[in-house]
Amino acid sequence: MTDLSVPALDKTRGASHLDQTTARASPPEAAEFEALLLAVLAPAYGYALRLTRHRADAEDLVQEASLLACGGSHTFQVGTNFKAWFFRILVRCFYARHRAAQRRPQTVELDDTPDIYLYGNSIRNGLPSSGDDPASILIDRLGTERVVEAISQLPIEYGVVCTLYFMEDFAYHEIADVLDVPLGTVRSRLHRGRKMLQKVLWHMAQEAGVISAMTRPERQPS
Amino acid sequence: MKQLDRYTCEEAFRRLDDYLDRELSPSDMARMQEHLETCAGCAREFAFEASVLDGVKRKLRYLDMPSDVLARLTAAIAQQRHGSNEAGGA
Repeated sequence: MTDLSVPALDKTRGASHLDQTTARASPPEAAEFEALLLAVLAPAYGYALRLTRHRADAEDLVQEASLLACGGSHTFQVGTNFKAWFFRILVRCFYARHRAAQRRPQTVELDDTPDIYLYGNSIRNGLPSSGDDPASILIDRLGTERVVEAISQLPIEYGVVCTLYFMEDFAYHEIADVLDVPLGTVRSRLHRGRKMLQKVLWHMAQEAGVISAMTRPERQPS
Repeated sequence: MKQLDRYTCEEAFRRLDDYLDRELSPSDMARMQEHLETCAGCAREFAFEASVLDGVKRKLRYLDMPSDVLARLTAAIAQQRHGSNEAGGA
């Protein structure tokens, strides 16, 4: 049977090994491949920027992945998910760079994080739990930079999967394709990653005074 | 017998992530919705969770790629493709 999945890359060999060949139904023509690639550059850059948090690093990452993709274009099969195929290369490049730099500190402890952490703490601290969408207000008051910072504090394998999930609307099976892991691993990492993220967000909200501002009674006009 | 087809709060809670991500089967989605229509506590928790996810998604999305970055990437790709073609044609 013809294997129509994204080419399997050896996880242990780093990002430069895209030269493995698999049985393929139909590789794309050069112009077709280039059009597919150009169409995913913007989301790839956005994702890379969220992962690296530096514009120059994000650009380098996307360029490295693009050139590797060009070199391995014959391994992409027309009719399969190009974005997932390319993001798989991108993530592998990111992991390779991360391994080399070892610069992402892990700061979140998972084991003691209960489910629905934000909701539970909101109730315990007297935040409104319904009405004018309190969760949305909490996230809005935290702001984009803190949310990005919170994700960067997750252990790398959780940060990668959560960023894919939150940014790209990939279904679980697409994330599994990108990361080359079983569906159950995606489900488990997302579940745990969300729990950790909620914990970090709560502590950030406390430190930033967001919680106290939300629990403070509004002053009536005199 | 109908009662057996309904989720308890615990069963619903176990499926919270899959429900919010629409990864349940149509029949399980229907059971969840049925539970949420009759359980105000779970409905409140689920709505809160959904709102957290939506809020984080809103914050993380919509990053524009600067035009100069696009130009450099496009040029690098074109150069690579051009080089490949020349090597292939040599």
